[in-house]
Amino acid sequence: MKNDIRLNYPLWMMAFIVLLGVFALGINLSTTETINNETEASLAIQLEAFESFLIFGSILLYLILLTIFSVKIKQYNQKNPHQKISLLAIRPPEYLEADEGMTHITRRAVQKVYTFYSWALPALATIVIILPLPRLLIIYSILGLAFAQYWIYYAEIRKHFKEEEE
Amino acid sequence: MLKNRVKEMRARHNLTQSDLGKQVDVTRQTIAFIEKGEFSPSITLALKLAKALLVDVNELFWLEGDKKYEK
Repeated sequence: MKNDIRLNYPLWMMAFIVLLGVFALGINLSTTETINNETEASLAIQLEAFESFLIFGSILLYLILLTIFSVKIKQYNQKNPHQKISLLAIRPPEYLEADEGMTHITRRAVQKVYTFYSWALPALATIVIILPLPRLLIIYSILGLAFAQYWIYYAEIRKHFKEEEE
Repeated sequence: MLKNRVKEMRARHNLTQSDLGKQVDVTRQTIAFIEKGEFSPSITLALKLAKALLVDVNELFWLEGDKKYEK
């Protein structure tokens, strides 16, 4: 169970969020020119060495992680044909609902995430309305919320598995 | 709060958490959560556990402060 991909799923998502943050930084640092008028619509991006490193490095790392992640999902589905994980499913795959005990700890973790969002989203919206924040900071705030969501969920689930004994 | 004697009874029958979990159709982790008092099982699961451990459900689970069952 400890190596169950569903248990570690939030960690994977957190890694993808960090890479998205690096990618966003690369895009934000680069020079962009947008033309959108009646006759023309185009977007030109000029990349320097550092921005190129950030953008292409993050894309490369993303693809490597995605490949490893897909292989792990495939292995899990082969081992668990009755509870396959579909990445296209609306229901989050990290929910552990094998029985009433697992459902109970999943509910507790989800309640914590819900509590977090119930104050974090209004707080972020208020800050963005009041302060003239740069676009990158707003993107990072949203990514920060997503990262925190997965961390809260993972920490709560992990807490219950930590001191298990046979 | 619900108290229980699952760990004691399981040890008496020389069962591992996995063995007991298989008998009552739950995961080993759920047995561990019950033993640690992190989770109060449903009536159905409590009855299944009592049956598997060959005791009355009252001997396995009781309310905190119930002197009749507390040792």
